[in-house]
Amino acid sequence: MTDTPATAVDATLRALLGDVLGLGEARAAALTADSGLFGELPEFDSMAVATVLTEMEDRLGILIDDDEVDGEIFETYGNLLAFSVRKVAG
Amino acid sequence: MSEHHLRIVPAGSARASVLFVPPLFEEANRTRRTLVLAMRALAAEGLAALLPDLPGQNESLVPLVEVDLARWRAALAETASKVSGPLIIASLRGGALIDHAAPAAAWWRLAPASGASLLRTLLRARVSADREAGIASSLASLEAEGAKAPLLLAGNLLSPAMIAGLGAAEVQAAEPLRSVALGADGIAGTPLWLRAEPGEDPDMAQAIAADIIAWSRSCGII
Repeated sequence: MTDTPATAVDATLRALLGDVLGLGEARAAALTADSGLFGELPEFDSMAVATVLTEMEDRLGILIDDDEVDGEIFETYGNLLAFSVRKVAG
Repeated sequence: MSEHHLRIVPAGSARASVLFVPPLFEEANRTRRTLVLAMRALAAEGLAALLPDLPGQNESLVPLVEVDLARWRAALAETASKVSGPLIIASLRGGALIDHAAPAAAWWRLAPASGASLLRTLLRARVSADREAGIASSLASLEAEGAKAPLLLAGNLLSPAMIAGLGAAEVQAAEPLRSVALGADGIAGTPLWLRAEPGEDPDMAQAIAADIIAWSRSCGII
């Protein structure tokens, strides 16, 4: 997985957020690095956070430890993408 | 204690019956609406469709904390044994972890999930909710706690037996079995079981019914 390009991670992550939050293709595609997630999108509750983490593991082929998860990675789409790209790169 | 079940039957006599095993916990609520549409589509094709409440789920009066996977497997086996005529068992997600003990002519599974993955999501929801409340917990600390006493995970009070059973549960062999995923090669649709808000996918319901009918045909059941 070390050579997975950031664009593939980006596409996977948008599709995943679309699935979990029911954003629809247009809203998922319109997410920018500054788009707020947790605390901003009403659908993004603690259950959605948990579902997103487990789906990230399945779809990106990564393992996420508790201590890697802080409030910050769910603050914006940019933060979540950067975290994912870092994890996929190993 | 007997559980409610939803039954949708064709106008005439049924060619066969389909027993749906719903996903577990909150995932059941998120998919129920679309499952019912699939049941109606099956009935329109002459099949009876049955959606039972698992003990401790939906409208069941049994406290969830008294339930474990063995009890769900036994409840399904009992429900299946009361169906007359040929029976196809159709399971979604975690439902596939408890469907193999029931007597049936064929099995059909959509997007089967491992128990460990379902448990991990439930534990994470608790960690996330704890963090918001200013309480420090972790998957490991919750698992240790849940081995000794019931644990409240995303609104579900789960016994140590249920937690241990889920953590180890994998889908079991069944024969004949068709296992399908979402996507171009399987069922076209959306993973409604992941959805934070209720949704509906009528096209997916039709696809589910059509796939079950095709599988029943190829097994020589209808």
